[in-house]
Amino acid sequence: MAKGTTIKMWRRTLIVLIVMVVLGFGLIVVSLIRLQLVDGAELQKAAVDQQLRDTTISAQRGTIYDRNMKPLAQSATVWKVVLAPAYIDKEDETLRRTISTGLAEILELDAEDIYERTEGTSYYDVLKTKVETDVKDRVVQFIEENDLGNAIQLQEDYKRYYPFGSFASTILGFTGTDGQGLAGLEAYYDEYLSGTAGRLVTAKNAVGTDMPFQYEQKVEAQDGYNLVLTIDEVVQHYLEQALEEGIANNQVENGATGIVMNVNTGEIVAMAVKGDYDPNNPFIVADEEERARIAELPEEEQQAATTAALEEQWRNKAVSDTYFPGSVFKMVTLSMALEENVANEETVFTCTGKYVPVQGERAINCHNTSGHGTQTLVEGTMNSCNPFFIYLGQLLGTETFFDYFEAFGFTEKTGIDLPGESQSIYHDEDMTLMDLAVESFGQNFSITPIQMITACAAIANGGYLVQPHVVSQIVDNDGNIIETADTTVKRQVISEETSERVSKILQENATSGTAKNGYVAGYRIAGKTGTSEKIGADGKVGSDDTYIASYCGFAPADDPQYAVLVYFDEPTGSSYYGSAVAGPVFAKIMNEILPYLNVETKYTEDEAGSVGVSAPNVIGKTVSEATNELTNNGLKILVKGSGDTVIAQAPDPGSSVPSGGTVVVYTDEASMNQTVAVPDFTNRSLSDVNYLASQAGLNIKVTGAYNSSAATARTQDYAAGEQVEPGTIITVNFVEEDTVR
Amino acid sequence: MTNGRTGADRRSGMPPKKVGNGTKIPKDHIGKKIKNKVNLFSVRAGLDIPFLFIVLVLVSIGLVMLFSSSYAYAYHNYDGDSFYFIKRQAIFAVLGIAGMIAISYFDYHHFHKLTIPVLIGSWILLGIVLVLPATQGVHRWINLGPVSLQPSEIAKFALILWFAHFVSVNFRKMNTFKVGVLPHLFILAVTVGLVFIEPHVSASIILILIAAIMMFVGGVDKKWFIIAFVIVAVAALLFLTLTDHYASDRVAGWLNPFDPPEDVDTWQTQQSLMAIGSGGFFGLGFGQSRQKYLYLPEPQNDFIFAVVCEELGFIGAFLIIILFVLLIWRGITLSLRAKDKFGMLLGIGLTSQVGMQVILNIMVVTNTIPNTGISLPFFSYGGTSLIILLVQMGIVLSISRTSAVERS
Repeated sequence: MAKGTTIKMWRRTLIVLIVMVVLGFGLIVVSLIRLQLVDGAELQKAAVDQQLRDTTISAQRGTIYDRNMKPLAQSATVWKVVLAPAYIDKEDETLRRTISTGLAEILELDAEDIYERTEGTSYYDVLKTKVETDVKDRVVQFIEENDLGNAIQLQEDYKRYYPFGSFASTILGFTGTDGQGLAGLEAYYDEYLSGTAGRLVTAKNAVGTDMPFQYEQKVEAQDGYNLVLTIDEVVQHYLEQALEEGIANNQVENGATGIVMNVNTGEIVAMAVKGDYDPNNPFIVADEEERARIAELPEEEQQAATTAALEEQWRNKAVSDTYFPGSVFKMVTLSMALEENVANEETVFTCTGKYVPVQGERAINCHNTSGHGTQTLVEGTMNSCNPFFIYLGQLLGTETFFDYFEAFGFTEKTGIDLPGESQSIYHDEDMTLMDLAVESFGQNFSITPIQMITACAAIANGGYLVQPHVVSQIVDNDGNIIETADTTVKRQVISEETSERVSKILQENATSGTAKNGYVAGYRIAGKTGTSEKIGADGKVGSDDTYIASYCGFAPADDPQYAVLVYFDEPTGSSYYGSAVAGPVFAKIMNEILPYLNVETKYTEDEAGSVGVSAPNVIGKTVSEATNELTNNGLKILVKGSGDTVIAQAPDPGSSVPSGGTVVVYTDEASMNQTVAVPDFTNRSLSDVNYLASQAGLNIKVTGAYNSSAATARTQDYAAGEQVEPGTIITVNFVEEDTVR
Repeated sequence: MTNGRTGADRRSGMPPKKVGNGTKIPKDHIGKKIKNKVNLFSVRAGLDIPFLFIVLVLVSIGLVMLFSSSYAYAYHNYDGDSFYFIKRQAIFAVLGIAGMIAISYFDYHHFHKLTIPVLIGSWILLGIVLVLPATQGVHRWINLGPVSLQPSEIAKFALILWFAHFVSVNFRKMNTFKVGVLPHLFILAVTVGLVFIEPHVSASIILILIAAIMMFVGGVDKKWFIIAFVIVAVAALLFLTLTDHYASDRVAGWLNPFDPPEDVDTWQTQQSLMAIGSGGFFGLGFGQSRQKYLYLPEPQNDFIFAVVCEELGFIGAFLIIILFVLLIWRGITLSLRAKDKFGMLLGIGLTSQVGMQVILNIMVVTNTIPNTGISLPFFSYGGTSLIILLVQMGIVLSISRTSAVERS
């Protein structure tokens, strides 16, 4: 009997061995090659995805400051409440109920909804965002009390606040739910403001606790940079207030915009659009009437109507709207004519009420259809005589006109650091003489308000076209300056001499010409009014009888510093003319901002009479001594109380009182609580206003066209009937109604 | 016999093999009849050092990897005792190695007489386990206080022993149905039947594969294997198509582990594949597995190789596979040189059982075949199975003492 291995066994064993090694082990090695070397990266990614919890650390969005470091937009810490149902035992009914009812109560959410979400397998289910810190504290307490550990997590986030509400909203813009800038500076400088979000990557085991070995990578969030604006909060405030008043007084349908610009640096000191919104709630239609109107629409139209209303309120008219500048543009044509020397101040032109610029073409009417008669260039400007400017245009010729048109920046965007700047629409150098005729007085081409004020600044500052800008510096949280906006001079358009000559003519225009409603004593205002026809719904100019009333000017004329443009879209009040609608608003703004901006006053002899004197200090003096002193200064005295000695006075010592004004002196405590009602000055003449004021023991400061005998009081800064302290200075603005465009 | 050939070699037409001049096969064993009395520990020749070395290396690597793979799971599930598994496994390993060395001195011929008792004993144990209360829903373990015993492990050994004994006695008639097939069908039906109803599918498969290998090597006519293969294939197809959608869903889950049918849970497979994939070529480094942090369920058991792949990479896994191949190669070489058919068949059975388990385990871990519970020899946690495994290796070493193989 064979004992050992037979050849058959030997062979068959070898087959078993080979099958085992080749098929068995071969196959597993192939499997390993496939899994580890071919699909390894993919599988590893799947593994890492489940092992690592990647948490975003929000970066704090930069603050937007005004030029005096007053915060206009800032971010505050809020919290994101995140549910991680993967860590919740689905079998534990009590736990799920505890979580859902507890959180629903704290976060004011639906308990049933949360309960259903605890069923999930996600590690990251956001329950609520923008949770304030006090609510977050309650959530933390809730987590601790119920030992919920990983099931509920809190993440730091930021919320944007605009402390002044709708103030400067069109410039500032707003942010979306994820903190991304959506409009205005928030959008334009989003890259700088947003910063870089950080990441916290931690390795977690399958039950969500950290793995015992060190596996944590933290990339700190880089907070956003801060913007320091050229905007001055005070100037902005004056501008917005004046615009609102102008809208109310003139029943302006379509909002208004105003710009205050430093003519030498291009800094925008204020820019406002009214018909704006609250950036804290940008998605709510701010205009209550519009909101009510939309609510009444059929449901299917509401969405579209709301979208349209929102887009309208977000629109920055100052850079996005284009309009015919109208007669304001005459300052540009005037500059061209003087610079090219095709005319000078003494150039004479006779206006017959209409003018045929090109033989065989239609005649163009002057707004004064009976004609201005023979006038010098200065007078023509003051009359805003259309034929005169058509004449100047024809003297320049299309080519020269267009060269200057281009040089003044009307064919290019200004490059202001705000989103949505529109491109202007114009005739190029191939324009006809008829086109030229109409363009000479500012019609038939569309530009943006920011283009107009930039050209105006060039006329004022010696001929230099500067680039307007809103941000002066970008700084980090440690105060390091990241970027500084320097003044960018694009080119010199006209000579300094021409600039001075035009300024002088415009100053006369604002003193006693058609722009006199913008006059402010002592500040040498230069300005030009404009009334432009809007393109009607049928696409034809003027077909809807809708207008834009504007006023553009600067001060002081002999040393220009600030330019202001105000623009009212569709005034429907007693007047739609630039002089009557925009002029007074311009005057009011200049009157408020120039003293604030420390612009020096200089009074002409004419003005001196109406100019204030410094109130002497009569406190501590006897009533008779006080009377003498005040009379010597050309002031009236009004004694309140029965004492002998003056214990207080209004206006305060050293403050400016209009000449011939009243100083109220108090002789006992009791008398100091008295107030007087402000009279209604509206539509009164200057002498009436002075009389009423002295009767009431109040002082009057006049602005606007008070020198004109036809002017009447239009607005007053204290409302009629309001109780004020005796001696209070009431600013009354005078307007001369006329029909000058 | 100057060249060292034995008579048996010549008769069986074995290829010439070299036996070192210095090697002496103990005289008293050459030509001895099996039935001759031998003393219990009469074997004196040296055991096979390469085989012993490979076993010890595998046990060592297995222990180290068991510790690495189990400590997070142990920490979490055994009150912070990270050493829960490694402490126990280390003790079992020491006991097992002692048992292995001891049994290597034991003359394996004594197992001839033990064949029937062991077989009947394994059936009794398989019967007992069925009436004992189920653990985790299955009847696999007999609890003996601190340790538990898997009767299916005994059954595997019993089956190997049965074939080695039967074939070595009846090898001339193995090509007949009456001797070569019929009795084994009965033995197999009882053993596999008892294991299958535990239920323990993977152990059943291994038992069938062991039987197939033993019968094949033993000389059973090839046609029976073809018939068996056809029957199994048809049965499998019928099973897949006729049984509800349970089976086909399992197959779908196997083919798309990351997008399984709703009622199939492939979590373990997914985690295993992610672990293996994470390893890449060089691995994450020893101890650096992340999947063992409670992602991979019971990483110390059947899926320990996934952690090995993750930590040691393809290169480490490949080297371990090579170690297993060497073990099997050496084991089978030793068996083929055994001085009798009983030793040869016993050695082949024991060695190929290890090979089968390794292959099937890694195929499960790599999702090459559907998930079924097969432990990895020398690596997976389990006291009795490690001891039994090492004792079985001891038997192979015992065979090696009589084996006419060149020793290093």
